[in-house]
Order: sequence, then C-alpha cells, then structure tokens
Amino acid sequence: MLKLDVNHLHKNFGGLQVLKDVTFSVEGPELIGLIGPNGAGKTTLTNILDGALKPSSGTVYINGQRIDILPPYRVARAGLGRTFQVTRAFRRMTVMENLLVPAMALNMTARRKEFEEKAAGVLDFLTISHLRNEYARALSGGQQKLLELGRLLMLDPDIIILDEPFAGVHPKLMEIIYRYITEVNAQGKAFIIISHDMDTIFTLSKRLLVLNYGDLIADGDPAIVRQDPAVKKAYLGEDEPEAEDTPLPTRMAQRME
Amino acid sequence: MSRRSVGWILGAGVVLFSLIAPLAVTVSPYIMHLAITAFFYAILASSWSLLAGYGGQFSFGHMAFMAIGGYTSGLIGKFVRFTTAPTELCNDFPLFGKWWLVILKPRDVGTIRDTCLDLAKTTVMPQGSLIVTPPVWAGILLGVVMGAVFGLLVGGLVLRLRSTYLALFTIGFSEILRAAISAEIPITEGQSGLEMVSLFPRGVSFLGQTYNAASKIPPYYVMLFLLIFSIVLMAWLTGSRFGLFVRAIREDEEAAAALGVNIVRYKVLIFVVTSTLAAAAGAVQAHYIGIITPNILIILQMSLVISMAVIGGLENIYAAAIGAIIIQFMLELLRTSFDIGPFTIDMSIWRLVFFGLLLMVTLRFQRNGLIAPIFDRLTRSQVQKETVSIRQQPVAIVEDAGETDTAA
Repeated sequence: MLKLDVNHLHKNFGGLQVLKDVTFSVEGPELIGLIGPNGAGKTTLTNILDGALKPSSGTVYINGQRIDILPPYRVARAGLGRTFQVTRAFRRMTVMENLLVPAMALNMTARRKEFEEKAAGVLDFLTISHLRNEYARALSGGQQKLLELGRLLMLDPDIIILDEPFAGVHPKLMEIIYRYITEVNAQGKAFIIISHDMDTIFTLSKRLLVLNYGDLIADGDPAIVRQDPAVKKAYLGEDEPEAEDTPLPTRMAQRME
Repeated sequence: MSRRSVGWILGAGVVLFSLIAPLAVTVSPYIMHLAITAFFYAILASSWSLLAGYGGQFSFGHMAFMAIGGYTSGLIGKFVRFTTAPTELCNDFPLFGKWWLVILKPRDVGTIRDTCLDLAKTTVMPQGSLIVTPPVWAGILLGVVMGAVFGLLVGGLVLRLRSTYLALFTIGFSEILRAAISAEIPITEGQSGLEMVSLFPRGVSFLGQTYNAASKIPPYYVMLFLLIFSIVLMAWLTGSRFGLFVRAIREDEEAAAALGVNIVRYKVLIFVVTSTLAAAAGAVQAHYIGIITPNILIILQMSLVISMAVIGGLENIYAAAIGAIIIQFMLELLRTSFDIGPFTIDMSIWRLVFFGLLLMVTLRFQRNGLIAPIFDRLTRSQVQKETVSIRQQPVAIVEDAGETDTAA
C-alpha cells in the first residue's frame, strides 16, 4: 500500500519561518484537501515534497524511500507527481510530445510507439484527442490544464499533488477535472489538492489539512475541521460571534497576533 | 504523393547532386573552396541550432569549441613526435618497445633557433633513428576528444545559468581562449597563426584517380561526409528521447524535472554533443586551409554562424544547415559591383550590409527563419487539416464532451 510520511518539516527563508514542524502521513488512496490563507506555506510544502526545495530540517518518505534528499526527477520516479499553480505545458511541443516526456523519462528502454497508444487513451479520457498534434501553445488555458493532468497520468505516480486545479476554470472543464480526480483516485492514487475553492474542496476531499503561517493547525474530516475554532479564526475569518461587533481595525489586529 | 515524400525526394536529390557533381563535371577550385567552407559553416550552424534552438542554450562559445578542435590538431602536429631513440633535449616519455613519445619544446620568442629535435638529430640520437609525425587523422581525433572534454566542462559550469548569463559566460570563455592563444606565441604562434599540414599531405588515390595535396576534391568529400554524418547524428538525436527531453527542458526546466527528466544529464549532454561536432568541423577546416589564427574566435565569426542559423531557422537543424550553405555562397558570389544610375555599388563591402538587413528583417517578420517554414509545410500540413476541420465546428465538441460526462 502506498505511503507518504512527512516528519517534522521545518523551512526557513532567511529569518522567515515558512514551515514549522509539519508532520502528517498519507496511507492508501486518500483524497486530501490542503488549504490555508495566502502565505500559509502550501506551495513551499509542495516544493519540498516534490524535491525542488530542500527542507531546513525534517524528512519525507515515500513507500519507505527517503525523498527529501533526492533531486526532483528522482522524486518523480519514486512516485510523486505534481501540477503547478500557473500552468506549465511545454508550449512549443505538440500535445502528444508533452505526454510522451514523462512516460519516456520513466522508461528509458521502451519504444515511442508503445507510449503513443497509452497517450491516446489519456487524451480520450480528457476529451482533447483531436488536439494531439497541435502545439500546446495553441491550446486554451483550460485545455493546457487538462494537458498537465494528462502528463501526470503518463507519469503514473502513486501520489498526485494538484496546485489550484480549479482556479480560473470554466464550469464545464471543472466537471472534467472533478471526474479526473474521483476516477483516478478510485484507481488507487492518493491526491493532495490545494485549492481556494472552498465548496469544491469540502465536497471533494475526505480529509482536510489546514496550514496557517507554517503551522499545520488541523488535520481530519472536513466536516469536523470546518467546525474547529482555530481554523475558523485563522482561515475562514470567522471569530466568536460577539467579535463581529468589535470594530474592523481591532479585529484585524487580533487576527494578526 | 504526400508532401512529406516530396521533401524526402528533394533532400535525397540534393545529397546525391553534391556527391556526384565534383566527379562528373570539372568544378572550378574557387567554387569547390566555397562549397567546402559552406559545408563547414553548415556543420557549425546546424549544431548551434541544436544547442540553441532545441536546447534553448544560447551559447556564444560555439566557435571556441571549433577552435579547440583546430588548435589541438595543429599543436599535436607541431609538438608531438614518436622516435626510436630518446632525444634527451626534448621531453621524452618511454612507450612500448624501443619507441619514445617526444614532446618538443617551444622555441624562444624572436629566435629562429632550431627545435630541440633538430639539435638532437645531429648530436644525441644515433644514426638511422626513426622520427614519426602523428598522422593527421589522429590529430583530428584528439581535437574532437578535446572538444568533448571542454564541452563537458563548460556544460557543467553553465548548468545554472540561463539566457543572458549563459551568453555572457560563453562570450567570456571564447574571449579568454582567444586572448590565451594570442598571448602564447611560443606555443600557438599567436596572431601570425599556427601552420597546419594539409588533410592529405601525400595526396590521395580515390576511385582510380590520384589527387595531389592541393586538390580540392578530397577535402570536399571529407567535409561533405562530416556534414552528412553530423546531420544524420543530430536527426537521430532529435527524433529520440534526447530531442524530446532537451526541448522539454528548453520549455520549462522545473516542469521537466517534476516529470522525471534528469535535466543535469541532458543539459550537459547537449553541450558535449554540439561542441564535439564543432571541434570536428574546426579540425578538418584548419587542416584544409593550412593555417589557424585566433581571429576565427572574434565575435563577428560567431555572429555569422548565429545569423546563418537564425535566417535558416533556429529550431530546425536541416534549415540551419541549408541557410548556412546558401548564405555562404551568396556572400561570396555577391562580391561583384553594379551600377545604379551614376552610383557604383561595391558589393564586396555592401554585401555585409544587405546580410545584416536580411537578418533584421527575418528577426522582425519571420522569426522561424526563412527555410524552416518550408519544412513545416512539408511535415505538418496534415495536422492543420485535422485540427482546423474540427475547430470549425466548436459547438459539436462541447456537446460531445457533455455526452461523455453524463455517460460517465
């Protein structure tokens, strides 16, 4: 069974503590939402899991293999795939070539033809098979998002981190992405989804992690996390009912403490 | 017949023509010289387009690797000998049996004193000792190896540098090399240039014909085969994993790494491959010309190669090679003067101005180059048909997607 262990992660940028003692683990095909206000450390956490950043201290293991010391490409091969907040398709390559990159990087011996068949299936699933020979730069923003998700299917990792998959996406496309997450999850892949779209994240995820200024302040069932006073205070901006009566500057000062 | 096969037939025709022409008809030595130089630039421009166009690494150091190939081969010819007896005056290294590797000592600046070997021949070495100069091909081979070694070194050093910084670093590398070669007169002869033996010092027999050392036909074929070899090698590379990965790295390094591509390996590898090809071209060309000077390293030479690749088409090795050949011929054949009314235009000077204008117009209006779009038309015509026909009915697509949604 797939397993991700994050142990006591700390990350400092100069004097700024971006992550403070973050510990959690993922066991099996969980569907996890990761939320937190801007600057909470979500993207930093993703970059550390992905290998792009090294933690100041702490360790990360995938299926028993330590990955926080590995370069990103080795992390990808160890079974962790991610998308980026801003879509990063290979713009001057065709859609098919975009999909072939991870597949061929993972398997250095098999021939191109073998992957093209798999890629065709992925394109079908994402409803963009008619674009297979187009350059990625010719695709709309939403289609590029789908292409990024398609590349992850070709990489076939155990754990998939999606950074803002629903941001700026047409409702029709949102449906396709939603279907992608639920179906791929049903095939046994774990998801960590970063999103500011509260409605979607609460209905989609089975478990919620809440980061606030580098602290993991909640971890659990979304319905329960939602009621957690710390989360309400820090993230949802709701305080004790009477606090609503205090003037706005005071409330802001309280929240900044 | 599909457009793609038209392209193949055209390409095969051009290669066949270049193979047969010099043997079938008598071509003037001047045109032969132009062709050899054009092939030389074609190797440089196409390998640079692999590095910059495919790999996205805008290096200004390509000519430096070319020079490393040329100078390595030249210096081996000048300083390395194999003898059957120690010289005691030069640097002797015992090899197998009675053979010695002798590295000659540089002459003092400003003297015409004999080399240590000349002195040893008359004083130390016994009568009948053999002195063997390494063959030209061995020098070229070592030049190629040095090109690869320096490619590995520079490729490793520029790993973390992008765009402007990479350009500045490689300009610096090239200039340092030029300054060092100019300064080390006892070794490299500095600005007066290092003399090189011709490619075939004792002439060559070929298809029943004997050609002397000055004939242009043997070097023509050497350079042509080197060009064909380079193009085939690069075509194979660009069509393989290597091509896919270096383009992905060019587009987005971090995304490529996140998808499992070992970016360090491929970024260094593309430097090694392209500098090896440049070094091979440089070594062959230096032997053909008979002399190599540090002036091949001036920035103008590098700009010429870049311009050829840009005008041909940066992201296409064939287009860059063809662009280089056409431009080299045009630049030479336009060396005539003509009159417009009372004005005489001296093209031997003005041709460079027109060349510069062509470069600027290309960059402004046809960034893909002038020749690459032809290749695109030949290879991608089918794609347009496919996607445009579907795009013309956008409503239908949305409905399709909706249906699959409800079905799922």
